Amino acid sequence: MSLLRAWTTLLWLSFRRLLWSGSTLMVLLPFTACALFLIRRGFWKEANLFETFNDFSLFMMFVFASFVVPICAVAYATASIGGDREDRTLLFLLVRPVPRVLIFFAKFIATLPLVLGLVMGAFYLYCRLGGDIGRAAYPLYLPAIFYMSIAYVSLFHFFAVSFRHSTIIALIYALFMELLLGNMPGIVKRVAINYYGRSMMYAAGVPHGLDRPEAEWFEPISATTAALALVGITLAALLVALVVFQRREYTDLT
Amino acid sequence: MLLTFDQVTKFYGPVIGVNNISCRIGPGITGLFGANGAGKSTLMKLASGQLRPSQGEVKVGEHRAWSTEAKRHFGYVPDLNSFYEEMTCLDFVYVMARLYGLKRSDARRRTAEVIEEVGMADRSGRKLAGCSHGMRQRIKLAQALINDPPILLLDEPLSGIDPGGRREISRLLVAQGEKGKTILISSHILGETESLTDSVLIIARGRIVASGTLSEIRAKLEDRPLTVEIRSPQSRRLAALLVDEPELRNIELRPTGLIVQTRNPLRFFTFINDLVAKNGIEIEQLQTLDGGADAVFNYLQQGSR
Repeated sequence: MSLLRAWTTLLWLSFRRLLWSGSTLMVLLPFTACALFLIRRGFWKEANLFETFNDFSLFMMFVFASFVVPICAVAYATASIGGDREDRTLLFLLVRPVPRVLIFFAKFIATLPLVLGLVMGAFYLYCRLGGDIGRAAYPLYLPAIFYMSIAYVSLFHFFAVSFRHSTIIALIYALFMELLLGNMPGIVKRVAINYYGRSMMYAAGVPHGLDRPEAEWFEPISATTAALALVGITLAALLVALVVFQRREYTDLT
Repeated sequence: MLLTFDQVTKFYGPVIGVNNISCRIGPGITGLFGANGAGKSTLMKLASGQLRPSQGEVKVGEHRAWSTEAKRHFGYVPDLNSFYEEMTCLDFVYVMARLYGLKRSDARRRTAEVIEEVGMADRSGRKLAGCSHGMRQRIKLAQALINDPPILLLDEPLSGIDPGGRREISRLLVAQGEKGKTILISSHILGETESLTDSVLIIARGRIVASGTLSEIRAKLEDRPLTVEIRSPQSRRLAALLVDEPELRNIELRPTGLIVQTRNPLRFFTFINDLVAKNGIEIEQLQTLDGGADAVFNYLQQGSR
């Protein structure tokens, strides 16, 4: 019982510190920029629904899912443990009688409502701004956005427990590696999370008018396989992060 | 409760942090002294379960220091100045209390008690970001005391505290020691906590080079060189007579008197007593220049090289 009290305290502390951190301000910028773009673009006014659906889907795929979602995940997921590590306040947690596994899960779970809340909330808002085609796109792309968000959060937690300046490394990964690798021809793109997310989005969108990508440039896998891959990445990153955090001596704290 | 180091060695890659340390630290206040880089902080981190020994074992009571269970039995004051800066002192200590699994009401009561104990009751509403170094040291001590642990590990707890505050904290630590707690205080300034400690461990280059009470250590070092200042109006004559003393290493003539260095202090003092009585030499002052704790520490450190 006392362990549960300690854990919920840590969960609440982590959530509260993340919510009122610079990360929130940082992620609001790209979210706001996307909203302003959608208002200016005025998808709801378009007469050609097929073409509009395609444009809206590509925006969601290449700007929102490939750029804004990872940025949001970087901001919160690396700050949850990485922030404590950089501020060296992690020490105050590591010398308490709370198993490291539970410290890690408190940090991870505190991050999820923020990332998922913002991403899902913003996605809902953007779809509303898209009018009828937005309302049609919402249920189609929601699963991909959800799985991608969780996979990024897990991966960036792994970065946070493994590297001292995890935010910088995760940003470099999100901005360059994901975009670069995700758009490489051939099989290399399969190491990028956004490849699986986009595969799910194509699988959902193509039957409703989304243009199929050229095979030599992007060959999507089935939605089920992509979803399983994202779940696999999530679990593997979590497991490795957990093992690293459990065993690691943080000599940089004092 | 005992804090036990059993043949503990810690490597940082190719660098050795502490080297084959074995000791048992029991109730009372034990000082851990050493220069910067001597291995004090490594020892503290091993004791507080932040590091695992490369060889050997560190135990808090019956539990390995790295284990979660061991962490119920000690409070730790780190040698860092980082906090959740946005919190008030009261909130910070309360959160630390809750991390021990205390109920809200117990955590509130205990927080108020320790804040009072460290003399921060009138400033507990202040944000940590706006606290002075001394206040932050007190808050670090408060969070270490929050679960009333049987072992306290205090890494440089008095650094940056004003003399008045130092006396208050010292009284608090002595009271904790009298309750039968095991307290390990590290410092690189021996004089800072010398008066508090029942026994000392002196560490240099990762090894414990001396342990026991300061007087025991001094006794063990009777044959170490001692520097003595002798003020006399007949210093030249005295210097000439002292040359016959075989244990003397060095004589320096100064305008006010002599500075002599002897290999055998006990024999030297007997010799100079006889010399002065026999030759009617007037001595204005005779004092040892390096008999204090810091001198012992410096000597041991040199010896470890």
